[in-house]
Amino acid sequence: MAMAMKRRPMFLNLAQIQMPVGALTSIAHRVTGILLAIGIPFTIYILDLSLQSQQSYASLIHLLDGWAYKAMAVVFVWVLAHHLLAGTRHLLMDVDVGSLLPTARRSAWVVNVGGVVVALLAAGVFL
Amino acid sequence: MRKAVTGLRAWLVQRVSAIYMLLFIVFLLTHFLLDPPTSYLDWRNWMLSPGVSIAASVFFAALFAHAWVGMRDVIMDYVHPIAIRVMVLALLGLGLTGIAAWVIQILWMGHG
Amino acid sequence: MKFSIFRFNPERDVKPYMQDFRVELEPTDRMLLDVILRIKIQDDSLTIRKSCREGVCGSDAININGRNGLACITPVRELKEPVQLRPLPSFPVIRDLVVDMTQFFKQYHSIKPYLINDEPAPEKERLQSPADRDKLDGLYECILCGCCTSQCPSSWWNPDKFVGPAGLLQAERFIVDSRDRATQQRLDDLNDVYRLFRCRSIMNCTEVCPKGLAPSRAIEKIRLMMVKDSI
Repeated sequence: MAMAMKRRPMFLNLAQIQMPVGALTSIAHRVTGILLAIGIPFTIYILDLSLQSQQSYASLIHLLDGWAYKAMAVVFVWVLAHHLLAGTRHLLMDVDVGSLLPTARRSAWVVNVGGVVVALLAAGVFL
Repeated sequence: MRKAVTGLRAWLVQRVSAIYMLLFIVFLLTHFLLDPPTSYLDWRNWMLSPGVSIAASVFFAALFAHAWVGMRDVIMDYVHPIAIRVMVLALLGLGLTGIAAWVIQILWMGHG
Repeated sequence: MKFSIFRFNPERDVKPYMQDFRVELEPTDRMLLDVILRIKIQDDSLTIRKSCREGVCGSDAININGRNGLACITPVRELKEPVQLRPLPSFPVIRDLVVDMTQFFKQYHSIKPYLINDEPAPEKERLQSPADRDKLDGLYECILCGCCTSQCPSSWWNPDKFVGPAGLLQAERFIVDSRDRATQQRLDDLNDVYRLFRCRSIMNCTEVCPKGLAPSRAIEKIRLMMVKDSI
């Protein structure tokens, strides 16, 4: 009996649990936040190059002209845009703006689509 | 008091730093759209002018605080063994401190 | 109608598995629980908790096609087939669809779910104005079924430290009660990186609450109260 009592499995298969749109916004907010944190040293490296000297500035401009860097820049824009939009949504909900479920669902859609739209716009400008 | 330090305060730091960074990013984007730097000297003089470099320093301070609270939240959720957690947090803190020193060097100790 | 149900018998099974069932619906079968009971006639070892069968007791909370809900008030014909039934996520499974709710109730008790008032009791009762009573609407209706807490990722990662949406909704219910005198202690107790602040405002709780309540909003209100309190 005691042995049997101990055997307690648990159902927590994330692929089998439904994620509402707000949960997707939240997961992406977390993932983009981690990516931005990892990106801090790279961003600061770019800032350093841009200010160091005439030569480093020129080499940076040349570097950023490459196709791969432009693609990375587009991804960076999505990451930043989603994080800022999702963060703004949180800031508003913190002061009770749009925190009822129907509004929160709509704003979650706006954030998810908005981030992608901003990235596409950036792709149009960069590429 | 100990609780106030770790609960509400971290939450407030996250909100206040977010609002400042949001405003700074809007300011930066506006500058780049209205008056994009045309040369190295143009960019450097703008960036290292007292007003902008102070605003940028505050931005980086906000960024490091925000990243610390945010990453700590992630670690609290997924990293449970206390020894590993302390190690990861220490690495994060060290990393952020190192990067902060780098930023001070870039913005305030000038390159000549 | 086709069903796929999570099965686990601790005396026999090493691992849980999914078992398929096929049932012909009778015209009187309206809710999911009606059909589960019909399946139980086919296989009487199928175990589920139920009592009032009308969404008041909160016993038959299960995960239905990935979403927590009460079997007794879920219209069965609207469900996508095969209907996948599993126990509440992240709660230890005792058998089939029955979970151990010890942790859940421990968190509930931790917020002191009762009025605290040391003032001498009046002759008859502690009166409350209708306006003050209205403040409890949307909070007192919680039946502690566990749907919200079990669907909350913050509770998944820290079930022992984070109070969880159900407990926090109850906390707000006592914080706003005009007859309660422990508001400050309650706020201080929740002002902790884990107890309240593990909430990431994901809102899964409000999404799945079978009573249409909004734990996420209650949490947000407690936080705002803390902010005002600290200024």
